[in-house]
Amino acid sequence: MIVDVNAYLGHFAFRRLRNNTAASLLVLMDSKHIDKAVVSSASAITYRNAQAGNEEVAEETKGHRDRLIPFAVINPFYAGWQDDLKICHEQFGMTGLRLYPKWHNYQLSEKCCRQLVDAATERGMVISIPIRVEDNRERSWLLNVPDVPLEEIVELVKAHPKARFILLNGIGYTRCPLGLKDNGLPSNYAIGLSRLSAVLANELGQLITNLGAERVMFGTGMPFNYPDPALVKLEVLDAGEPEKEKIRYQNAATWLRTVR
Amino acid sequence: MAIPQTTSCPPVPKSGISRRTLLKCSAALAMGPAALPPAYGKAVEKPEAGTLSGTLSKGKVIDCHAHLNHRSRSTWEADDHKLIEAADKLGIDQLCCSILTPQRPATADGFRECNRWTADGMRRFPGRVLGYCYVNPGYQREALEEIRRCVEDRGFIGIKLYNEYTCTEPVVFPVVELAIELGVPILHHASHSHYFVEDQPRLTDSGHLAELARRYPEAMLICAHISGGGDWEWTVKAARHAPNVLLDTSGSVTDDGSVDMAVAVVGVDRVVFGCDSSMTAGIGKIRGANLSAQDKQKILGGNMTRLLRRRKS
Repeated sequence: MIVDVNAYLGHFAFRRLRNNTAASLLVLMDSKHIDKAVVSSASAITYRNAQAGNEEVAEETKGHRDRLIPFAVINPFYAGWQDDLKICHEQFGMTGLRLYPKWHNYQLSEKCCRQLVDAATERGMVISIPIRVEDNRERSWLLNVPDVPLEEIVELVKAHPKARFILLNGIGYTRCPLGLKDNGLPSNYAIGLSRLSAVLANELGQLITNLGAERVMFGTGMPFNYPDPALVKLEVLDAGEPEKEKIRYQNAATWLRTVR
Repeated sequence: MAIPQTTSCPPVPKSGISRRTLLKCSAALAMGPAALPPAYGKAVEKPEAGTLSGTLSKGKVIDCHAHLNHRSRSTWEADDHKLIEAADKLGIDQLCCSILTPQRPATADGFRECNRWTADGMRRFPGRVLGYCYVNPGYQREALEEIRRCVEDRGFIGIKLYNEYTCTEPVVFPVVELAIELGVPILHHASHSHYFVEDQPRLTDSGHLAELARRYPEAMLICAHISGGGDWEWTVKAARHAPNVLLDTSGSVTDDGSVDMAVAVVGVDRVVFGCDSSMTAGIGKIRGANLSAQDKQKILGGNMTRLLRRRKS
């Protein structure tokens, strides 16, 4: 069993994506033996009204909820986010969020964002934060969106010990408190492996040593990314099968099953 | 001092795990049904019985873009061993390595020292490490002497140029002419971003390399890391009409479709596998590309082998 906590549906404003419909993503997943995937709207990253992207994902995943687990993209600085959150959770059955503070131009420390985190936590929703969408060096001439600094994540996880965060598309955790052993932070966050090294610097192995295998989750970033690099990391990872099973699906299953 | 043009205009068209298991897996995962919207070729296909094993496992896998560690790094020796261990895990037979000076522009003493260490790496890992001779073309006499020494006496397989000069600057031409004389490729650091890259004012992109290729059609030019962070779609398109420019797939970016587009636009014979230290990304992208096992083998090693056979000395 493999559960991918880092997948997307829909269009991205700056590059054509393949396999970005439910049907085509499922074929891709089959070919890679990925059983389930957490998906959110790629379009909502650049839509002004992110809820339109959530509506598209809700519609697209109908009939595939056994394999596609939809998450909402919520911008806490956009009008009506409270209504959107309620609709996504109660009507669309979305069990988690993805936040894009840099793309949506707000700070994780701002009051509205903190209110959103509290509201989502109250609903038992998981909050995932992609540290980046694409490499900044390939950016369009229209914009310059930085990665989310890990220091801002540190403050967020400290401020919301009851919330549960999944950090996606990041590296360098072992160079900040998030990836250090006995870091004094609540163990309320897990780290997706899509950009972590599994050989040479082997940040993946270091995180398992420092935080435990239960704090790392499998995720590919498909269809932005080829899914294979993430799969290769698991294959070459110097860890026991029980640890790999946690990363492949058990951790995600535990986190996602406990949501309402 | 006038800063040279930093990005070229788009060129005008002119004319544990067994490494074998991983590669078999690569072939297996490359197969699959054409039920998806086509982009850069066919969509994901399902495995077809009887087509998996064989082809990939027979060919050599050559990482065309690798680096040994500079010895100012206290862990250089252990890190070099980790590189070979990673190659073992990932089924990479040979790594074409250079060592760069930590500070650039490199001095003549600096690049000569790096090349001595590369030569030592070739001795420490015989058959696994192939050497690129790194030079700064600005030290013309020293650079040409060093290239000749490295290729003719030390058995280096090519030349590595970084960002000291844009490749279209005349100071680079003697290096290219010597590469042609010796029959060795030049791996040129390259990237194209849609903004001025302040710390690399003389950055080369694939458009520059295409321009250089038109001036020297006999040269073998490898455009480094299409997945190195720039706009790879631009990079691929700008190289289309330069038949002697090859695209190296290395880099940390794992954007879906990048390898597929490179093959679709420039042809499979002009795409070469590389990692540039992003090892799982490098292998994973080739595994993920929707290409035949035969085409993957060309990228993984066949094309580079063909290039290396053109050596004259």
